[in-house]
Amino acid sequence: MTGTVPRRPRFRIQPYIEFAKKAMAREGTYRFDVFTTVGSFVVRLYLLRMVWTALYAHNAAPVDLSRHEIITYSAVALLMGIVMDIDQTRALHDKLHDGSIATDFMKPIIVPLYFFADGTGEVLFHAALLIPSILIALLIFNIIVPPPMVLAAFFVSFLLGYLVGFFLNFILNCTAFWTLEISAVQLIVTWLTDLLGGELIPLILFPAFLQQFIYALPFAAMFSTPLLIYVRQIPPARYLEVMGLQVAWIVVLGIVSTVMWRAGARRVVVQGG
Amino acid sequence: MPIIEAIDLRKVFRRIVRQPGIGGAIGALFSREYEDKVAVDDVSFSLAEGELVGYLGPNGAGKSTTIKMLTGILVPTSGVLRVAGLVPYQRRQENAQNIGVVFGQRSQLYWDLPLRESFELLRSIYDVPLNRYQENMRHFAEILDLERFLDTPVRQLSLGERMRGDFAAAMLHDPKIVYLDEPTIGLDVVAKEAIRVFIAQINRERGTTVILTTHDLADVERLTPRIVLIDHGKVIYDGALERLRTEYGTHRVLVVTTVDPVPDDFAVPGAEVESREPYVVRLGFDRRTLTAEALIRRVLERYAISDVSIIEPDIDTIVRRIYLEGYQQNAVGAPS
Repeated sequence: MTGTVPRRPRFRIQPYIEFAKKAMAREGTYRFDVFTTVGSFVVRLYLLRMVWTALYAHNAAPVDLSRHEIITYSAVALLMGIVMDIDQTRALHDKLHDGSIATDFMKPIIVPLYFFADGTGEVLFHAALLIPSILIALLIFNIIVPPPMVLAAFFVSFLLGYLVGFFLNFILNCTAFWTLEISAVQLIVTWLTDLLGGELIPLILFPAFLQQFIYALPFAAMFSTPLLIYVRQIPPARYLEVMGLQVAWIVVLGIVSTVMWRAGARRVVVQGG
Repeated sequence: MPIIEAIDLRKVFRRIVRQPGIGGAIGALFSREYEDKVAVDDVSFSLAEGELVGYLGPNGAGKSTTIKMLTGILVPTSGVLRVAGLVPYQRRQENAQNIGVVFGQRSQLYWDLPLRESFELLRSIYDVPLNRYQENMRHFAEILDLERFLDTPVRQLSLGERMRGDFAAAMLHDPKIVYLDEPTIGLDVVAKEAIRVFIAQINRERGTTVILTTHDLADVERLTPRIVLIDHGKVIYDGALERLRTEYGTHRVLVVTTVDPVPDDFAVPGAEVESREPYVVRLGFDRRTLTAEALIRRVLERYAISDVSIIEPDIDTIVRRIYLEGYQQNAVGAPS
């Protein structure tokens, strides 16, 4: 083939902002979600509060986390879960499955960035739905609000956790380039995230030898790190270290994502999907 | 200089050979046997700017594979391909800016959004200046009659409405070239006609280069003098549709209505009895060896007849014959 050097056209951010906006508009068509989100949040938090209260009544609790703190932990974990549990890049899997990915490749866009923008729009919409749930958590369950500095650190860490989750989902959906069916793998990863990410049970309650193993996995970077910052189990002195680890996970998973995407896209262009 | 040039374009797909059944599926995990399938086999053609060409062939002939290579989403195995001066797969994004694509079987509109919002998104993707966008929208809304359903979510549109939306979407950024892959498939007569008028208009008024693949030969007859015929990945004919008709459509039929019932041994030298009814007989003959006048004279010499008519080969019949029997070089002469 003739040896023209591949060159990228001028990058414009606007289309990706539009993708995110359209994803929000699309999610907005499912308005019923507002009620189910709030409803299931209240029910699950109520149940968790019952469980923790019972455990604490029998002195089965760790010393350095009060009952009120652990209920706060559960509430914040549930709130985070509402946005974190969304599979933002499901569209990639769907489009690979029905072959419509081809039309995306025929547009002058960076295709993985389109999926990122679309997924983020979806997540932002659901984040907006959090407001009533947050109010309930504050006013009815009376959860603890940490000082602004801790809160700010929590949000930064949450954002980093979101990116870890994004790349993890992206990698999973990329496997559809080869297998076309990913639900089994995805189910396992969901279980692992629930259990080993600290969404359900704070990881500090796990036996020490298990904690070593769990912290070596990316799941803790998604939930546990921001949550432990929130309940002040991670002191400010360690912020740099724990967030550094989150960033490291983003870099590693980002590289894996890139490699997977390139190989997958190559497979599409060479094999025709 | 041609706007599209393909020289010895070739695409070979490699597939894993798998024995049927569970055993085969498990076996495929361990030993991989590959099988090469040549989808496009040394195809060469070129298009001048503003040309409209019908790209025809039976299912699996390699039409869609060619289109995918032209759009840059498939990398050719070998050969040279240039579209508006670019090698499509090397400069996919820039190439995308130059082309518009319509698939009859697949929409590029956003399923959950009203049509209008899909257009706005495309305006942003292709960076269409606002005044150009508004002008195009006004123009397309008028000729494609979009106004009525601009605010309807795409999933609620009828096929005809969706296709019209897809055409407008493909043309919004004034592409130099459009690829239309079976754009009239499944449409009713009225919608088909609207689409054909639109294609003719963009080709004529905007000078857009058009490659049209279709199974509906009426599309081609209506729109373009030139066709490229492909079968088993090879170009078997490239030239005027009319020439194909005159040179390949040599088989004509003389329909004879007889005065007396058609006898069992009805026969005329140089013609073949194709079907026989009590008073009507159909005689197939080759235009190259026998004129209609001569055949009619021969019939009159032998039988009493009350009426004759001639059925000329239609393009469907010609193309069907080529698909079925393969293409014979000598029947048409060397392809240009």
